[in-house]
Amino acid sequence: MKIGVYFCKCGTNIAEKIDLERVEKEVRVLPNVAYCKSCEYLCSEEGKTFLERDLKGEMPDRVVISACSPRDYERTFRECVAAATINPYLMQMVNVREQVAWVTADPEQAAQKTVDYIRGAARRVSLQVPLEEKEIEICPDVLVVGAGPAGLKAAMALADSGRKVILVEKTPVVGGLPVRYEDLFPNLECGPCMLEPVEAEILESKLIEILTLSEVAEVVGYCGNFTVKIRQTPRFVDMGKCIGCGECVNPCPISTPNEFNCRLDQRKAVAFALKGGLPNAPFIDMKSCLRSTGENCALCETACPVEGAVNFDDLEKILERNVGAIIVAVGSSLYDCTVFPNLAYGNGGDVYTSLEFERLLSASGPTGGTLLTRAGMPPRSVAILHCVGSLDERHNSYCSGVCCQYAFKFNQLVHHKLPEVKIFHFYRELVTPGKEECGLFARAVAHPHAQFIRYGSLAELKVQAAQDTNLLRYQDGGAECEIDADMVVLCPAIVPSEGSKRLAAMLETNLDKFGFFEELHSRLDSGQSKMKGIFLAGACQSPKDIQGSMNQGMAAAGYVLSQLAAGKKLKIEPITAQVREDACSGCQICRSVCPYKAIGFDLDHKVSVVNALLCHGCGTCVAACPSGAMNGNHFTHDQIFAEIEGVLQ
Amino acid sequence: MTQQHQPIDRNNTFEPKIVGFLCNWCSYAGADKAGLAQVPYPPNVRVIKVMCSGRIDPQFVLQAYKNGADGVLILGCHFGDCHYKQGNFRATQRHRMLLRLLKQHGIEEPRCRLDYVAASEGEKFVKVVTQMTETLKRLGPLRRRASK
Repeated sequence: MKIGVYFCKCGTNIAEKIDLERVEKEVRVLPNVAYCKSCEYLCSEEGKTFLERDLKGEMPDRVVISACSPRDYERTFRECVAAATINPYLMQMVNVREQVAWVTADPEQAAQKTVDYIRGAARRVSLQVPLEEKEIEICPDVLVVGAGPAGLKAAMALADSGRKVILVEKTPVVGGLPVRYEDLFPNLECGPCMLEPVEAEILESKLIEILTLSEVAEVVGYCGNFTVKIRQTPRFVDMGKCIGCGECVNPCPISTPNEFNCRLDQRKAVAFALKGGLPNAPFIDMKSCLRSTGENCALCETACPVEGAVNFDDLEKILERNVGAIIVAVGSSLYDCTVFPNLAYGNGGDVYTSLEFERLLSASGPTGGTLLTRAGMPPRSVAILHCVGSLDERHNSYCSGVCCQYAFKFNQLVHHKLPEVKIFHFYRELVTPGKEECGLFARAVAHPHAQFIRYGSLAELKVQAAQDTNLLRYQDGGAECEIDADMVVLCPAIVPSEGSKRLAAMLETNLDKFGFFEELHSRLDSGQSKMKGIFLAGACQSPKDIQGSMNQGMAAAGYVLSQLAAGKKLKIEPITAQVREDACSGCQICRSVCPYKAIGFDLDHKVSVVNALLCHGCGTCVAACPSGAMNGNHFTHDQIFAEIEGVLQ
Repeated sequence: MTQQHQPIDRNNTFEPKIVGFLCNWCSYAGADKAGLAQVPYPPNVRVIKVMCSGRIDPQFVLQAYKNGADGVLILGCHFGDCHYKQGNFRATQRHRMLLRLLKQHGIEEPRCRLDYVAASEGEKFVKVVTQMTETLKRLGPLRRRASK
């Protein structure tokens, strides 16, 4: 074994603090150390050239570089070593600058510490083995789960760059929540007008396969190569044949609450989820259809002008697709307001959530956009309650970020529809960051009939149904006050969508403490989950507005394109865990501690198997294995034991 | 344990040996920060880098004592900051187990210290090493049985 030791003087940074001559004298006599050489600045161009040439001449078996922190230059020196045709993992750095020279006052102690570290490195490096970066083929196709703004943007960007996309949407239409809003903050653009062209483009794309009424049922595999099973509920309408005329709807004898209008009106068993929603084809809700009770009603089929468009024999399908990456864009939901009994929500009175109110304001909503109370009267006063369940430790400690803006949008829209209506804003905090976002707030403040009342705790507010109105009691400077509010609108906290937990379990990704999909890093990588190959977009990761969702959708597409470039192979880091099958007892403790679900189990041989692609190389399983059967490449027990012995000798 | 409260003997020339197992992402970076700030600290610690505090096998700690360490530091990321999600929780669990084991061998609890040092916490690293050195000076050398 021939070890070559290289000292970087780092100008005066190391050389002035440590007597390198003395160190060299002690290092030279260490076992296997063949030579020591010094350089002024090893990381400079001259230094790197010197290192590479010298290594080529000397061809040592192992290399020790005494310089600065490996966090700064390990990669650089590995490249130099590799350029000299020596495996880069046969080199060990000693962090003399940051952890000795700059922090040790006594020169004698500094020299001793340096010698100890080099001794440890020399022992360790002699046990290091060559490691290779492996490469695997990837599938370039992408699964996008959720066809709201984030999912649509991601799908479109990927298709634009030539990727095949499978877009899975659980409802019968694409567009997510914003297509249900008549006008969008901050500029009161029409939601459907803005999103429908985007949807149409998606529907026309030959590269995007849209699967509506569908959910992910199973995911196996790993980054670059997932096999996904998708469950598609039958629509009973052939979208290829349907011309979207709607002739089938009227004859249907069934009437059932319309969940697409927040159950504020009724729909037929055959229905369009949304007027103008895309794809423009109805669906048959078999649960409420007369046929489910055994009757042979076929009124819709008879009314349909296209032969075979209504298909009662449609069946649930399980579709299997192979993809390289998955983008989660399942959106968010609203906090359940029935947990506040004092707000009287859900009692059949005129207390609405923001989403219900959006539908009441919408031309495609239950009242055709005319603002009416349940009794059918135009309201004389509207109270908007901000921060319902947000910024509240007992409910959701975070600010939902979008409520203030849509509350002021409501202010504007109500004022526009009914100029004399009084509007009361009950708020805890007001938050409208951004360059355009305070416009609606400014208008609300200037509104002659709008009043702002700050409350401390939601418990101070009490809504009580009264004849034709609601009595809203609140506290103002300790005094009990009361107003009439014909309509009360709640701005509930934005919470994770219902299926998040199930989907996260299937994808083996984490949810954060609030139940949103957890990002790899909240500032650096919020569009990426901690699971390789699984990316996040939109409000499933954190409450977001449309702009934020679109941006993150674009970001997720960018992550996919940069990490899984078509035709490029995926590199596998060699610092991973590896099972020594002869020593594995099959206890599977390693599997239980792995944070990345990177360890599988070979049932035939009863041994654990590490998927090097999913392994991040933390070594938690290596420390946990009771049989010593798990090897941590580049951080093996033997290597670390040797380093301990070396530094302490 | 009562030794802990004794003042440092100024004539005490005992220099304890400390092995510090540091995770790559937070604590090792924290130690580098102390270097960048050029804050001197006792030279007694010998740092061994692992990718994650979850990699620190209790055997490493025992090996360190066997090879002459008077104390061992296990430093990882703060909870919630672990680069690998939860390795620091594993380290915490194993440390708890280690303390029990060490007690059975008559090794005092302060000789094996677990702490959390973030990548930005150069000062905390200095503090931990300084405190550990002082503690070990009070405790004196680790007494090992005659046969190694």
